[in-house]
This record gives sequence, C-alpha cells and structure tokens, in this order.
Amino acid sequence: MLGLVLLAFVLVVVAFPGLFTGHSPLTVNVDKALEAPSSAHLFGTDDVGRDVLARVVHGARITLSICASALVLAAVIGGALGLFSGFVGGRIDMLLGRLVDVILSFPPIIFGVMVTGILGPKTLNLVFALTVVYVPLFFRIARSGAMSEAGMTYVEAARSLGLSQSRILLRHVVRNVLPIVLVQCMVLFPLVLQIQAALGFLGLGVQPPTPDWGAILQQGKDYILLAPWMSAFPGLAILITALALTLVGRGLQRRMDRR
Amino acid sequence: MPFWRGCSRRQGLKDAESMGAYIVKRLAALVVTALLTSVVVFLLVRSVPGDVVGQMLGQTSDPVAAKALREFFGLDQPVWQQYLGWLGRVITGDFGTSWTRGQPVLGMVGSALAVTVQLAFATLLLATLIGVPLGILAAIYEGRMLDRLIQCFNLLGLAAPVFWIGLMLLFGVSTGFDWSPPLMYVPPSEALGENLSIMALPVLSLALLQAAAYSQFVRQNIVSALGQDYVRTAIAKGLPVRSIFFTHLLRNIAIPLVTFMGLILIQILGGAVIIESLFALPGLGRLLLSSIETRDYPVLQAGLLVVVVIAMLVNLVVDLSYRIIDPRVQLS
Repeated sequence: MLGLVLLAFVLVVVAFPGLFTGHSPLTVNVDKALEAPSSAHLFGTDDVGRDVLARVVHGARITLSICASALVLAAVIGGALGLFSGFVGGRIDMLLGRLVDVILSFPPIIFGVMVTGILGPKTLNLVFALTVVYVPLFFRIARSGAMSEAGMTYVEAARSLGLSQSRILLRHVVRNVLPIVLVQCMVLFPLVLQIQAALGFLGLGVQPPTPDWGAILQQGKDYILLAPWMSAFPGLAILITALALTLVGRGLQRRMDRR
Repeated sequence: MPFWRGCSRRQGLKDAESMGAYIVKRLAALVVTALLTSVVVFLLVRSVPGDVVGQMLGQTSDPVAAKALREFFGLDQPVWQQYLGWLGRVITGDFGTSWTRGQPVLGMVGSALAVTVQLAFATLLLATLIGVPLGILAAIYEGRMLDRLIQCFNLLGLAAPVFWIGLMLLFGVSTGFDWSPPLMYVPPSEALGENLSIMALPVLSLALLQAAAYSQFVRQNIVSALGQDYVRTAIAKGLPVRSIFFTHLLRNIAIPLVTFMGLILIQILGGAVIIESLFALPGLGRLLLSSIETRDYPVLQAGLLVVVVIAMLVNLVVDLSYRIIDPRVQLS
C-alpha cells in the first residue's frame, strides 16, 4: 500500500513537475550560489545558484525515462531471444547461452562502466549499456518459461492441430510468459535505477547541465562539506523511488506466486 | 541413498575422483568464458573511434608521429593479429606494459587488486556481522515490533544508493566528530592504523547495503525453515531452543547462505568501483575507470579479465562448498 502511494507520488512528479516548483532547473544565478535551504529555495541552491528542488523534480522525468526505456528494450530483446532460444533449442540455444554467460560473468555495474566508458558518456549509450546489462536476465526468464511451456499439453495439442511453430510461439507461449516478464520488469526497475544513478555519479551517464539524479550527485560530491543539501536531496529522491518500486514489485510477485 | 554413504573408503575415493573431474570441467568452462570475454572486450575497445594515440597527441596531431606511435603500439595491425599476439603473450604470463604509465600491467593490476580485496573482505565480514544477527533476530520476533524495525532497515538499506550513503557518512563524521579520513591511501603493511582509518568509511558504506540484503535473506530462510517438519519434530522432542537453532536450523540454511555470500562478494566487487572513485582508493575499480578514460588497452584488458575470473572463481568455490556442507549434494 505504502509502495503504491509513493509510486503514485513519484509518477505525479514525473508528469507535472510544474506543480512542485516554479524555478527552472537550468537558470544559473551565481549571486545565489550554495545557499542553504530556505523558504525561497526549499532544497537550497547549487554551486552556480540553480534551485536544487527544481533540478531534482525535473530530473525525475529524465532519470526514470532512461531507466524505463532501457528496461523495456531489455525485456523485448531479451524476452524475444529467450523465447526463440528456448523453443528452438539446439545449437542456437547453446550459442546464445554462452554469450549470455559472458555478460553475466561481469558484475552489472562493471559491465555498465565498460560499455559507457568505451562508447562515451551520451544518453543513448547509457540506455544501450543498461539494456545490454539486463538482456541476459530477461533472456533466461523467457527461455525457461518457453521451455516449460513447450512441454505443456496445450502446445502439443496446438501442434497436433497443425498450427505452425511460429504461430504457437506468438499466440500461445508469449501470452503465458508475458506476465512473468512484466513482473520481472517491476522487480528489476529499482536495480536499473541504482546502476543508472551510479553511472551518472561516475560521470559516465547524462552530462551536465541536464538535471539527471546521478549527475546532480556527481556535482554535489565536491561540495559535500560546504553544501550537503546538493547531495542529500537527489539521493533521497533515488531512495524514495527505489523504495516505492521495490514495494510494488514485491507485491506483484507475491500476487503472482499465489496464483 | 544409504546413510553410510561416504563412510566407506572406496566410496570416498570414488567421490574424490568425481570431485576432481568436476573441478577440471568447471575450470575448463571458466577458461572458455574468459577467452570469450577477452574477445568481446578486445573487439569492443577497438570498435569505437579514438585510441591512446589520439589521447596522447590531442586534436591537432602530426600524422607522421601518429602513424609511428600506432605502429609502436601495434595498432596498425588487423584486430585478429593484435588479439592473437596479446593472447600468446598472456598465456606466457606477460600482460605487457601500460601504454600511458609505462609500468608492467601485472604489477599495476596486482597492487590495485590488493586494495579491492581488502575492501571486499572487510565489507563481507562487517556485513555478515551486522546482517546475520539482524536476520536471526527478525525471524525470532517475526511479526512483532523488532521484526518490523529490522525490515524497515532492510528496505531502506537496499533502496539507498551506495555512493549516497558514502557521501552522507562523509558529511556525518566530519560535522559530528570533526574528523575526516586521510586523503592518501596507505597499504596496511606500512601503517595499519592509518590504513584502517582510510578504509573505515568505504567499508561501512558498502557494508550497510549488503547487511540489509543479508538480514532480509537470513530472515526469509529461517522463517520458512521454522515451518518445516524437522523443526517441529525437534520442538516436539523437547530439544532446547538453542540447540534447535544452532544444530538444526543454521545447518540447513548454510547452503543458501554460502550461495548468498558468493553473490554478495561479487556485488561488493561491483560496488567497489563506485566507492573507490568516491574515496579515492587506488583499487581495481579506479584502475579500470582510468584505463578506460585513457584508452590504455593492456591495463583495461588485464583488469577486466581479472574481474571476470574472480567472479567465476567465487561461483566455483560456492558450488564446491555445497559439497563440503552437505555430502549428499551431487555435483554435475
């Protein structure tokens, strides 16, 4: 319940940032640099006088849309490959399995650092890196789903009715594997957010002055003793969002396990 | 399966044989994956524009000098030739010299690894010391106030970004205790006290997160074990709670716990990249980051190879330890 309320709040922030702040996240005002939180600037100002609240609020959309698009891409690509691989089996299955092992043998953050570091810090590369990191997980889920579904009576029945392989795969197996993949998306979302923020913090994600949460934290790092509010609030934003997503994801998973 | 299995000498020998075969098989798979990884890394770093020569000479470079430097580094050869050359040298234990610092790669990776290993094991130790007791407490007081509090800690610990915890700790100790960690890294062999004061905050920030994961995991496992028949039998026999807990329960959750420790160790390895960069520790993570920045391929390749091999070795040790904890486990 708490998770849903928090998530709803985060979504409102994403949809209507104007409700929460009248300041622009990009307007520089050097006279007002590093001001502590006050009624004029609830979260204080940063090193060039930008309103931290405005940056955090407007950052929500940027940060979360990057995570969401990476997740969707990973689910679609990983899911499709996994379904195919599990259903077809044989050599293709083995080859894809080995490739997935290679990616999985890296700790995700190190793989992310490698890809964004080599390709260069651009938003598109960030999405690409996060997608590649999570494709294997969806691949495995969809693959094992497809393999267990392939042995089910209804697939056999469909086959004996003379339906083609691709038709069985698309019409029947996908429909049964899809809910598992969707729940997994929710469960993985907070992890993607953590890695996205970490890459931003390392300077490998969204580049300033765009207000991405990880990037804001990276700028705040050098002022941690002078202006802790620059770091405290974007971090809290990540914490609250990750908490909301975790709670909702767990709720969904519990509901599905019961079924 | 007969209960005396593993007691007879012959059976013991046979087990040792199959265990040896298993280890060989796993090590072979490890080598294959490591090779594949090195190919992927090799192709990836060479598929993007910009190399070490561009970094060294800058934008307005002299084409003659650039060509000479590329020849010097072997970058003018086809990629497969570069790869085979590199692989051939690596097999003989020669990881080459850093292109930007001129030092032997093996030494650089080794000294960075020492820092990261210290960080990782200190974190694992602290996380276990905090997380396991918390998980046990939460399971004992399931559904009550203490359990709820511990679960709150778990949720918050898992949701908070590790670098943010690090930043907040840094701010907290410097305002609260008027203390800040020394900036220059000192190895423990030189000055243990100073080394520990440098490591304290990085270890604590990594450990808080992992302790939360630990405690949640231990709680879940104990709670589900408490509902099992063997625990009910033990209670019915009138065994003291302590003996049920330590001889029956903990033994049965040992396998998942070891698996989890392996996972945590690999996670810490990843987290170390971020924490090392925040606290300026000269570990493997920072070495990887700087070698990516400067396109120092020999260092990058060796560093990534080490990371992958460590991660796979941890998994192997985890799987082998199942067998030691529970001889019934079949290795396949």
